Order: sequence, then C-alpha cells, then structure tokens
Amino acid sequence: MSGILVIAEHRRGEVRPVTLELVGAAQSARRVPEERVAVAVLGAEPERSVPSVSVAGVDEVLTVKLAAGEFDPDAYEAAVRALIEARKPSLVLLPHSIDSFGYAAAVAAKGNHGFATDVFRFGYEQGALVATRGGYGQKVNIEVDFPAREVVILALRAGVFKPPQARASPSVTSFAAPPARARVVSRSFIEVSAADDVDMTTAEFILAIGRGIGEQANVERFRELAEAVGAVLGCSRPIADAGWLPKSRQIGQSGKTASACKLYVAMGISGAIQHLAGMKHVSTIVAVNADAGASIFTVAKYGIVGDIFEIADALHSHFAS
Amino acid sequence: MTRDPTAVTRVLFEDFAPAAIAAFYVIAFAAVTVFCFGVYVEVRKYRRGSAADVDGRLLARLQAMIGTVLSHRTIARRDRAAGAAHRLIFYGFVLLFLGTATITLDYDILGPLFGVHFWQGRFYLWFSLVLDVAGVLLTGGLLYMMYRRGWLKPPKLDYARPDRQPGDPDYDRSGYRREDWAFLWTLLVIVATGYLLEAARLVWLEARPEVWAYRWWSPAGAALALGLRAAGMSAASGGVLRTGLWWFHGLLALLFIALIPFTKVKHILTAAGSLVLRDPLAAQRLPRVPQDQQRAGAQYITDFSWKQLLSLDACTKCGRCHEACPATAVGAPLSPRDVILSLREFANRTLESATLPEQAELDVHGKGPGQVAMETLWSCRTCMACVEVCPVAIEHVPVIVQMRRKLVEEGQMDPQLKKTLQTIHKTGNSFGEGKRKRAAWTKALPFAVKDARKEPVDVLWFVGDYASFDPRNQKVTQGLAWLLQEAGVDFGILYEGESNAGNDVRRVGEEGLYEVLATSNIESLSAASFKTIVTTDPHSYNTIRNEYPDFGGRYQIEHYTTLVLRLLQEGRLRIARPLGLRVTFHDPCHLGRFNKGYEAPREILRLLGCELIEMGRCRANSFCCGAGGGRIWMPDPVGMDRPAHNRMREAAAIPDLQVYVVSCPKDLTMFEDALKATGNEGRFVVRELIELVREALGDRQAAAAPGVAA
Amino acid sequence: MKLLVAVKQVAALDEDFEIRADGKDVDAEFLLRDLNEWDDYSLEEAMKIKEAGAAPVEVVVVCVGAAEADESLRKCLAKGADRAIRVWDEAIEGSDSIAVARVLAAVARREKPDMLFAGVQSSDHAFASTGIATAAFLDWPHAAVLTHLEYTPGGKSAVFRRELEGGVLHEMQIECPAVLTIQLGINTPRYASLRSIKQAAAKPIEVLSLEDLDLAPGDVGERGSLSRVRRMYVPDKGRAEMIEGSVEEQAARLAHLIKELAGSAS
Repeated sequence: MSGILVIAEHRRGEVRPVTLELVGAAQSARRVPEERVAVAVLGAEPERSVPSVSVAGVDEVLTVKLAAGEFDPDAYEAAVRALIEARKPSLVLLPHSIDSFGYAAAVAAKGNHGFATDVFRFGYEQGALVATRGGYGQKVNIEVDFPAREVVILALRAGVFKPPQARASPSVTSFAAPPARARVVSRSFIEVSAADDVDMTTAEFILAIGRGIGEQANVERFRELAEAVGAVLGCSRPIADAGWLPKSRQIGQSGKTASACKLYVAMGISGAIQHLAGMKHVSTIVAVNADAGASIFTVAKYGIVGDIFEIADALHSHFAS
Repeated sequence: MTRDPTAVTRVLFEDFAPAAIAAFYVIAFAAVTVFCFGVYVEVRKYRRGSAADVDGRLLARLQAMIGTVLSHRTIARRDRAAGAAHRLIFYGFVLLFLGTATITLDYDILGPLFGVHFWQGRFYLWFSLVLDVAGVLLTGGLLYMMYRRGWLKPPKLDYARPDRQPGDPDYDRSGYRREDWAFLWTLLVIVATGYLLEAARLVWLEARPEVWAYRWWSPAGAALALGLRAAGMSAASGGVLRTGLWWFHGLLALLFIALIPFTKVKHILTAAGSLVLRDPLAAQRLPRVPQDQQRAGAQYITDFSWKQLLSLDACTKCGRCHEACPATAVGAPLSPRDVILSLREFANRTLESATLPEQAELDVHGKGPGQVAMETLWSCRTCMACVEVCPVAIEHVPVIVQMRRKLVEEGQMDPQLKKTLQTIHKTGNSFGEGKRKRAAWTKALPFAVKDARKEPVDVLWFVGDYASFDPRNQKVTQGLAWLLQEAGVDFGILYEGESNAGNDVRRVGEEGLYEVLATSNIESLSAASFKTIVTTDPHSYNTIRNEYPDFGGRYQIEHYTTLVLRLLQEGRLRIARPLGLRVTFHDPCHLGRFNKGYEAPREILRLLGCELIEMGRCRANSFCCGAGGGRIWMPDPVGMDRPAHNRMREAAAIPDLQVYVVSCPKDLTMFEDALKATGNEGRFVVRELIELVREALGDRQAAAAPGVAA
Repeated sequence: MKLLVAVKQVAALDEDFEIRADGKDVDAEFLLRDLNEWDDYSLEEAMKIKEAGAAPVEVVVVCVGAAEADESLRKCLAKGADRAIRVWDEAIEGSDSIAVARVLAAVARREKPDMLFAGVQSSDHAFASTGIATAAFLDWPHAAVLTHLEYTPGGKSAVFRRELEGGVLHEMQIECPAVLTIQLGINTPRYASLRSIKQAAAKPIEVLSLEDLDLAPGDVGERGSLSRVRRMYVPDKGRAEMIEGSVEEQAARLAHLIKELAGSAS
C-alpha cells in the first residue's frame, strides 16, 4: 500500500476545481482505509495553494517549489518523476487537461509506468487496477489494465468524480524537486475578447446551435428564436471556428462552461465530448437533432428526433416575437 | 453564250478611264487581301488553342448548319420579331452578295476566259428586280433593328455586366454599342447609296432607251430617279452624282468586306463555323480530362480548344443566355454572355499578335481585364439554359466546368463544398451517412425490396443520394416502391453497392472524384443482372445515360416518368379517381432541357385528370431551381434572391393554382423551402408527381405531408 | 531543413457494428478508415512553413500502420508532402500510444528532422499522448495543443500559443528542435483533389520494419505498451426521455418545458 498521489493543477494563482475531483476519486481508490492520499502542489509559491486543497480525504499536502510560476512541462515532468521515485505511490492521479497533455505521457514513458488517459471510471479487481475510457469517438467503452506495473498514472476526465465538500487539515511537507532546464518559457496569457458582452457562464437559460444548422444564413433564425423564448444564444465549437458566432458564445472544453445554466436546449448539436464537458452538468437538457444516434441524447433529459428548422418554427409560434 | 449586243444589260465601268478601272481593281484586291489577312490572324488565334474532340461526320454537320441557318430556327425561337428582322437582313444580304458574285463571275471570269456572258437579257432584268427587292428586305430588317436597339431597348440588349464594378477597366461597354450602331449604319448607307447610285445612273442615261425603258425592273432605283428628276436634276448632274456615288458606294462596300474579320461582322463566318461544330450533348456529356494532360482544367486561354476559341468569336451579344440564366436573374456575379465576352476579349488581346506572350500572361483566372473571377464561376448552376438558347451554338457550360476544374485542383472553393466533396469521397454520399444506411428507407415498406447484387431483376432502380437519405424525399421513394410493387414490376436496388452517381461532382469540377464514383457504380452495375435501369433522380439519369458510356458503362436507362406512364397506359396501375386538380409542372433541368423528357410527366398529369396550366418558362425554357452545379452544397449569399424564389413567384401568378408538381428530389427540397420563404404556404402545395399518382390510385398512405389543398 | 509530421489513419464506426469475437475491438468489417482530422491541421502547418520559407524545406510524413494506411499517406503526399514513411510489423499489433511513440522516436532518430509535428489526439481513441511520449523518448522540448505557431525553419526557438480551458491562450517560447502537438483550427487545411491523390501514387511510400529502426518486438505491441485492453463493450446508452408526436406536438411540449423552467413570458 504505497499510497495515492494526486497532482494538483493550478493556473494564474488559482487551484483549478478539477483537482478536488481527483481527491474525490482518490477516496474510492483506497484499497484499505489507511492508504494515504497525498496532494502535490507544484509552482513558484506552492504554499499559497495549500488552503484550496485542504479538504477531507487528503492526508498530506506536498509543496514543490519550482522556478516557474506558470506551467512548465520540463519542470513538472522532473518534479513528478522525482515524487514518484521518492514516494513510490501505486496510483498517480492527474486531470485529463490541457496542461497534462503537455507532460503526463512524458512522465509515463520515461518512467515506464502504467498509463491511461481520459479515464472516467476505475477500480480494483482481484488486486489489479482496471480503468475504463471511451473509444471510437465515445461510442464504446474500453477497459484497460496494467499488468506488472508498480506505478500506474491515470489522467481522469473532468466533471465525473465528486469533489469532497468537507474541509480538513492535512499535514504539509515540502518536497525538493530536481532543477530542470527550462526549454519552454511562459510569456503571457491572452484573453479572447468578448465581441458582445454576453457571459455564458452566468446565463440560466441557453439555446445552443451546432453544425446541424447548415449555413451561416440560418444563424439569424435561431438568434430570433433565442430572443423570443428568452434564452441566451450559444453554440458548439464548429460554429465559432467558422466565425458564425463570436468565440465568447462557444460552450465546451475550450469554450465556456454553462455554470449557472438550469435549462439548456441544444439544437443541431451532435454532442462531441468536448462540448458535453461544458454543459452536461445542467439539470435539464433538451436535445433536438435529426440523428437519433447522436451522443447528445445520452446526457439530455428530454430528446426530440426531428428537423431542427421545423421544430424551431413551431416553437417560435408559442412565443410572442 | 456570248455577248449579245442587242440584249439589255448594264455596261460596267461605263465612261471610266482605264486608270480608274485599274485603280478600282487594285483597291478591290487590296480589300480582299486585308480580308484574307484578317481571316489568317483569326485562324492563327484558333490554332493556338488545344486539340478539339470533334467527330468526323462533317457532311451531316454541314447539312445541319445549312438547315439551321436557312431556317433561322435558332434566332426566331422565343423572339419572333428578331427572327423575322434578321431573316430579312440575312436574305437581303445574301442575295446582294450573290448578285455581286454573279457579276464578277460573268465579267471577270467567264467572260475573259471563255467568252461566255449570261448577265444580259431576261436574266439580267429578273436579276435587277430580285436585287432591288433584296435591298428593300435588307433595309427593312436594318430599320427594325435600329428601332429595336434605339427605342424598344429590350433588357437582353442591356450590356451592363454583373461580374464587374463601375470603375473596373473592362466595365464600360460603350465600345460594343458603337460597333453595333456602326455595323447597322454602314450597311444601311451601303444599301442607300446603292439605290441612289441606281437612280443617278438612270437619270444620267435617261436618254438611252435600253436603259430608261427597263427602269422599272429596278423599282426602287426608278422611283428615286423620278424624285431626282422632279427635284430638277439634269442628265449631266446625274452623271456626276453617279460617278461620285459609284466610288463612295464601292469603296465603302470594299472597306466593309476588308473589315469583316476585324469586327462584329465576322459572325457571318464564325457563327456558321460554330454551328458546324455543334455538339448537341455539350452540357449533358462533359469532356474527360485527356490522360496526358498536365493540368486539370483550363487555366490559360490556350487550354481551350480551337473549337471553343472559334465559338467565342461567334457571339453577337444577343443576350439570350444572359436573359435565361438563373444566376443572372437573382443578381449573382455571373452572366454566361460575359464569361464568353471576357474570354474573347482576352483571346483577342493575347492571341492575335505574331508571337505568343509568356504563359503567365495567358492566365484567364482573376479579376483583371478579360479574366473570369472565382465567384463568377462558382455561381453557375450548370442548368444549360444558356447552351440551349444560344442561336450560334456556343457551349458555355463546358467552358465554365473546365475552369472550375482548375479551381478545384487548387482547393479554391467554398469551405462547405470542400467538406461535401471530402464527405462524398469518404462515404459515397453527400450526407455523410454510413453506406449501410443507404437503403434504410426500405425498412418502412411492408414488403422486401430485392437486392440486385444478389439476384437478377428486370428493372434495376438507381435511387440516388437525396432520394435515399433526405427524409422528405424518402417518402417519395417509398411511394415509387409501392407503385412498382402494385404494378408487379420485378425491381431491385443496389443497397450499399450504390454511390452518388457523380453528376454534380463532375459539374463542380472534381473530375477525379467523379471517375472514382462512376467506376464504382459501373462495377456494381456490371456485377448485377438486369434489363433496364430506372431512376427517380434526373441528375443520376443524365450522367448514367450520357456520361457513363465514356467510362465503360453502357445501359438502357429511363426516368421513372416514362416507366410510370407506361404502367398507367398498360393498365398495370389503375386510377381509382381522377384528381381534378389545377396544377403546374416544373420541368427539371436534367430531365427536360438536358434529355428532352417533357412529355411523359405531362401525359401522366393528363391521365390523372389534372388541369395543367403551363408557366411562361416551361419545357426547354424551364427555370432552374438553383440547386445544380453543386450549388446545393454551397451556402447562398445572405440577402440575395434565389432562383427557387424567383420561380415560386412565377407559379404564384397562376390564379387558383393548387399544386406545383415536381419530379426531381432536389426540386422538391428547394421548392418546398421556397414555398415557405415566399409566403405562399397555404395558397398551394408542392408535390412530387409520384405522390399525385399514388393519390389517384386511391392509396390512403399517399402523401404523408399535409393533404393536398383540394 | 526537414519537418517530420506524424499522422494516423483512424477508424470510425459504421452502422450496426459488432464487437470482435475476442471482445477486445470492433470487427474490422465495420471500421471506416480515414486520415485523422488533427493531422490535416498539423500537415497544413508544416506545408505553410515549407511554402513560406525561401530555403527548401522537406516535409516527411510518417505513419505507424498496416498497408491500408497507405491511402491516408497518399492523401498527405497529394497535399504536398515530399516523402512518406510507413512502419509496420505484425508485432506492432496491439500497441498503445506509448509503444507507437517509441517507433516514431526511432523514425525521428533516423530522419533527424528540425521539428516534429503531431496532432493533439486522434479522433478514434483520443489518448492525447503519442506526440508527447515521442518527445520523451527523444528527450526533445515539447508542447501540446497549439493554436498558433511562429517558426522559421532551422530557427533555435519558436513562439507558440496553446489553447487552455475556457478559451484563454497561453503564449510560450520553446527551444528547437521540438515536438509540437497541433490543435484544430490553427489553420485552414488545403483540399487534396482526387486527381492529386491519384498522381501522388507516383511518389513512393517507404515501408520500414522494426529491424530497420533497431527495435525489438518487445519494444512494441502489448509488451511495449503501458496499458492493456481487457475488453471493449457497448455501454448502455441514453437516458433521454424522447418526446414523440408531430412537429406541433413536440414543439408544444418543448414550449411548455421552457415556460415552466425558464419562466419566460409567453
């Protein structure tokens, strides 16, 4: 029982919420109740993040001081490798995030550890770790295991595991990371300017459109519909990439999260995993799509298989223009 | 016969000094030389084009051309006044030309060489009369054309071009207008001075009985002579006038002849040439890319064939194609006329000099003078209205498609079109659906549809993309299946063995993908056993019928309208109740204009007991729904009118119309949308012919869409 | 100057697919193969650099895959890649992204490019690991999820932007040679006409074996992987309550839901 190591993720001074989801996941990974869960915080001022990760289920917080304040793949890689080397955890949990994309595989490859990404379920069967991830565009599930690997690194999907609510007071230890030559240097952060000052993260009722609307000329139709029903107009990535709506309206992993949304009506959106990441938490999702097999129906509460234009027109008639 | 001194004739060069006569002949030869040089320059220009694929039946072609020219059928179509006036000009001019040739034959050839003279006596008198009448005809035609241009000003003669902005160097067309008027006036002046000359001679020779007595054999001249004499002209002044007019008329006529190859007048020769080279299947069967060709498609002016370069010169700016084009009608930056004129101007500028310019200067793509822009080429619906109506057999559609091939090679197309082509390559259909879903529409039927890949059938039904995957069209497809089953037809489909037939892919210019699709379909068809093919899709019909033979697939194929008509006529389908509806029929481009399939759908409607009111633009002149040429895969610019809307407004003008009948899956899609968009929903409905047939047969499941407004 | 672009031929599921008898993958008959969407972008980025530079740049594409992957490599050649390399050996069957990365690193050692591009992930299994693992085996600087790149062939460093969650861009500078994984939307991939694909058939595809790369069968396949597939199965789908009926009925129900939950005025 060598323990579970959680690598915290922070950005621009804030610990990202997914870190706590990892802690939650770690709870169910304990094979015996005494198995220790340690959270490692990497950065220039790691102590500042300690309060954010002092939650129930964390036995120890390891602060790792690095030269760079923001993400540095080489430094993170060296630090995590050193942590694994020193602590020999049986399980290392990372988020399946943009930062992780930049270094997790390198840690696994160099250390020859068990490795799986975008894992949304895992557990032990007869003492062996089994992880489940998606395949073929999330149409199937794939179970993987890690024979003869002492350390397994899992990058977990965000928004799946429940973060603990209660606070705690774990011990805090510092860990000396080996110096790593900085081959990648952070320069600046660039906000994507909101063309129209709409904030998708505060909208309570969102009407979102996707590739199913066909042409740019049809955006107007749905804009009018959104206005008529009192919703904020949002979209999936292809619409924003094509420039039909500003990027500020994009919901999804690389767009906005519909955090305050209570009702989400998705029209012509197939439900790619990246889009779902931004809205699947919404309590009531209604999906309208011509394809009965669209993934969006797996997260929606209500579904309509039909022509989005016909439904849009018919729906519009119920609301004064 | 020899010269009979007593026979009446006209003394040529009477009273001319030998030096004057010699001068005349020198000038005449000079004029002919200039003419020949002009012709040489034009022929050299054409020869700078690539090889043309013209089959050898020269005699048949010549006969066809002569028939077309003599009857003026192509000019009189849809513009009887222009046809009549041009006939006058043509016959007048031809007779006068033959007249001069006759004189030359007698005076310069047969006379000196063999001592034979026939231009005298009775022959001469009738000759004079005929030519005078010819002159009147010519004058009448010219005057009407002047009135037409100057007062009537029909829209098709408005040279404003949609593919350029004011300020562009080649935007201004006043040069063309000046040339048009110069042409008319020159001919008129030649004829007028001819008559005046005739009159002056009569006045001059009034004392000579062998002239004066026969003056009324030249009635116009004689009438004018009376006028001149009444105005007090003496014989002597008549003589002076005659000499002056003789030179003026002669020199003007010779100048006219010399300038033929340099002016609009060359259409006399180029139009005939273009008509001889006419390919009646030009737009229905597009040319393949030659195996050895480096570039796909036309990038340089020399990539066009000599036949195409010749036909560019045949254009007289009559404007019929401009008027017929659905893209022009909705304000798109395309006019077929202006594509031809641009290329012609470009060819003239680059190919008429002694040496050929650098290849880079021969690129016809772009926004410079004489070049054709991408937006222009992509606006085309390949509906062939332009090709069909052109009186001089210019083939615009292959020109546009060949230029599109170059754009496709370079990926210069609308992103949605790009995606659709990639989708078709990947899945064999434009909807991106899995191949296995192609026959999903059969699941709703109460009977099984035979798999033509596994068992022999009488009729192989080639369904097509839209009919297979589009929900609205699937109902029609199921309808036909039901009809065929009712009639006891032994039919089957290819299931996953069928891919997009490729008609529109080819017309977009993706020739490589077309070859892949055609080859794949031909492979499937070759492996199956059947007698004939039937299809609900006119686009598939066109390409299988006309283009697949070039790829090794020769089949007997018909559109469902002829098959269903036969079934009705043979009583295999029995009409339970006549529909008694007031309908109009939209001829689909690829069935009607492309393949002359006008009658079967109309006969079916008649048998169904419908009252057919034709729209103004019907049959060969049907107005495209706008989906062709790959346009259904490209978004329409926001705010612009659409061909389908234009067509709907035409239909809406028919009082008490109940049904707008179509027989093509794309038409059904386009017009149902247009019905709503033009605010005509509720006034009449759009129905596929199959749906009406089912209703007449008493099938209750017919038309799952809301019932026909009865 | 040489740019090496790693590409993958991915598989998408056809209608009514079936799982193989051994339960570890879908029956190959139901797999539709195509070039990975991300690779369109990474190849295009390499082509842009090649076409912008004055000095000649060779773009080489490499794919670890069986013979059917040649079709995707042809597409890359049609788009302008100069050479294509395919690596295959029966032992490679069953490799995860790390084992594949080991092969790619061996190719990179052989080719000695100035930069290596890969897609962020593949559209079928989305490991998002292959590129970075390759960098680890080469011990090269690396960065992932690029939506913008400024690089001159042969340059000592490059400036790039990676796209973070929420759409924020993070601008960074990296030492070269490096491995970069490219995100969708960084450019507009060019169209490869069927004709150019056919003509690309004339360009050779070099097929390498493990031996050519000094790799042993144990370096790849299950033994060379950091995970092992136990089984693949179709999960129970969709909890959505489907609203049936005519368009009017469906729209009416939806309107009712909206009014109830969003409280908007009618």
